Amino acid sequence: MIPDKLKDYLEAPFVWFIELIFEIIVEIGLWIKWKKYLFISLVFENKYVVKTTEFIKDILIYTLSVGPIPKHVSFIMDGNRRYARSQRVSLQMGHEAGGKTLLTLVYICKKIGVKCVSCYAFSIENFKRPKIEVDTLMELFAVKLDEFAARANDYKDPLYGSKLKIVGDSKLLSKEIREKVKVVESLTSKGELFILFVCLPYTSRNDIHRSMCKSVLKVLKTKEENKKFTLTPTTLSQEMYLEEFSDKCDVVIRTSGHKRLSDYMLWQSHQNATIEFSNSLWPDFAFFEMYIMLLKWSFFQNIQIQRGSLFSLKSHIRSRCKLFVNKEVNVNYFDLPEPPRAVSVTEKKG
Amino acid sequence: MSQLEEKTRSQASRAELATGSSSYEHVPPPVNATMKKASQTSKTELLKSIFDSMYVNDGNDQDGKKRIKEHIASDGGYKTREIGYFEYLFYKSLLVILFIIYGIFRYFQFQYNSLKLKIYNIYYNPINTPQLIRQDVTQLNKVPKRLAAILEVKPVGDVGGGVNGLLNDGSKLICWTVSAGIKHLTLYDYDGLLQKNVQQFREDIHIKLVKYYGPSNLPKFAIRIPHANKVYYNEMDENDSEDKKVVIEISLLSNRDGRETIVDLTKTMAELCGNDELKISDITMDLVDSELTQLVGNEPDLLLYFGPALDLQGYPPWHIRLTEFYWEPDNSAVTYSVFIRGLRNYAGAKMNVGK
Repeated sequence: MIPDKLKDYLEAPFVWFIELIFEIIVEIGLWIKWKKYLFISLVFENKYVVKTTEFIKDILIYTLSVGPIPKHVSFIMDGNRRYARSQRVSLQMGHEAGGKTLLTLVYICKKIGVKCVSCYAFSIENFKRPKIEVDTLMELFAVKLDEFAARANDYKDPLYGSKLKIVGDSKLLSKEIREKVKVVESLTSKGELFILFVCLPYTSRNDIHRSMCKSVLKVLKTKEENKKFTLTPTTLSQEMYLEEFSDKCDVVIRTSGHKRLSDYMLWQSHQNATIEFSNSLWPDFAFFEMYIMLLKWSFFQNIQIQRGSLFSLKSHIRSRCKLFVNKEVNVNYFDLPEPPRAVSVTEKKG
Repeated sequence: MSQLEEKTRSQASRAELATGSSSYEHVPPPVNATMKKASQTSKTELLKSIFDSMYVNDGNDQDGKKRIKEHIASDGGYKTREIGYFEYLFYKSLLVILFIIYGIFRYFQFQYNSLKLKIYNIYYNPINTPQLIRQDVTQLNKVPKRLAAILEVKPVGDVGGGVNGLLNDGSKLICWTVSAGIKHLTLYDYDGLLQKNVQQFREDIHIKLVKYYGPSNLPKFAIRIPHANKVYYNEMDENDSEDKKVVIEISLLSNRDGRETIVDLTKTMAELCGNDELKISDITMDLVDSELTQLVGNEPDLLLYFGPALDLQGYPPWHIRLTEFYWEPDNSAVTYSVFIRGLRNYAGAKMNVGK
């Protein structure tokens, strides 16, 4: 029998030892937590790591660019505010991160060979938001517009040679921004390789309505001039904001998990368009996710194209390799060697 | 402004007389086109089409332009140049490898999704009992006021294919909607086959409703065809149905109600403006909206699609502004599990207009 007091004495160092170990673990954990960003930057911001990832990305991009490519890609940039809330930074920081994502994705699209990218920057409904937020957003737009114009004119920049167009109901914008838009558009008007449409106060219903009004005016005008003009869905599309890309949008991408269009690209995406939804917030929506979406489109588009064609790789290669394969693809019947002599059993004699 | 509506209707019928009927062939987006024909093509054929793409030029080359690639010149500027032959071959073969990897991944994804759907179909199985459906729905905190669904015809040879399969799918969906207690249902099919076979459709609905509710206390329904401006009720009990309340209002839409109706409305507006009956400043968003609501119907809250990937198939563009979409990946049948899961998803969704 061990007395109770002795038991306590024996137990104390044991408990103390366990507590010490726990404390050490907690301390190490805290230290790692504090130095987390240091570790991340050590690994991911390493010069060589960055270089190799860029190299792999480039190869992937060029690989995709030799296959079928969508002509018009559209983004609904949703989730900037939730991103800011989850990262505990100000709303403005969230929107800035979103702007950065847009520019990188636009650059990737341009490299892949997409002709036109459009993005939903600001809805007419967004004017319902608190005035301070709208104002800061507008300031941010002004800054970003300048940045884009500068980059599109800098021959050292990957965005060189692209055209920027701000579309939407410009009456709702303030005078300063409208002037800035004009300046930026004229600065980038020479770009031919690529167009970026920024939909700034835009809603699709407004777009359709405007196009209807314009068409009515056009019909009246042609009537006065006694010309023949019939309205069709195509003529209606031509009056819309996105010029030649108004009829169809190949891929629409919406982030942050909502499965609706929110008054964007209704006319363009309601037939034979692929609509993709992603669960990640817009600032988190990165290269890889978009790449998979475009690869998926390319994969299925490729199969669709091949199904319609009568092309066969096997016969093509065979026709190319005349040196090694001694076989003509199409031969004349009379060029074939003579078959063996025909003998009948019944007519056989003795 | 009922004048505007009437004239648009006559405009539409005139246009139909001129061209027979609206006849644009529907081109589905690539994913759907492939998935729908998947039952007819083998895997080797898919593999062959991937390998064949090795040589065929497409995409950018349709414009007759040579492929270009950006690179950094010695002076640090970004320039573009033509891609070399061997480089092109290298990237093309890499693309084929990438396609094959993606194809394998997609195959397993497809198997996983179809297994999931099978389990859902066992889990949610109403067995023609309205009580069970209502029980499922009462757990939700809200249901959509207006429901829409896109149906499509399957090839005649398949199970549930042809027009009869379509009508069967439609009537099944109507029974579920009635049991869920939703008052408005819009059925959309591209070619307007439901509209053309409306008499048979009424009989089909009647038979299905008898299965659910018995012949004595059938709920009353109304089928509306906005394009022809016609309304049909239950066929069988026209004499004693006067006192009953209409439980469900079904509207049938087709591709004709999409872009072409907007064009018709524009034509009518132009005509009226030419006759000085309407000023251009009077054409407001509200006017267009109210006219299109009368011509086509209201905007649905939830749109169900029973195909493998979202394909709106030319659903009226004006009417999908804030509509929530729901579909199950790699699904190809009209099943109750998709319906109830769509409703569940809607009940969990948060709406904020612009905020």
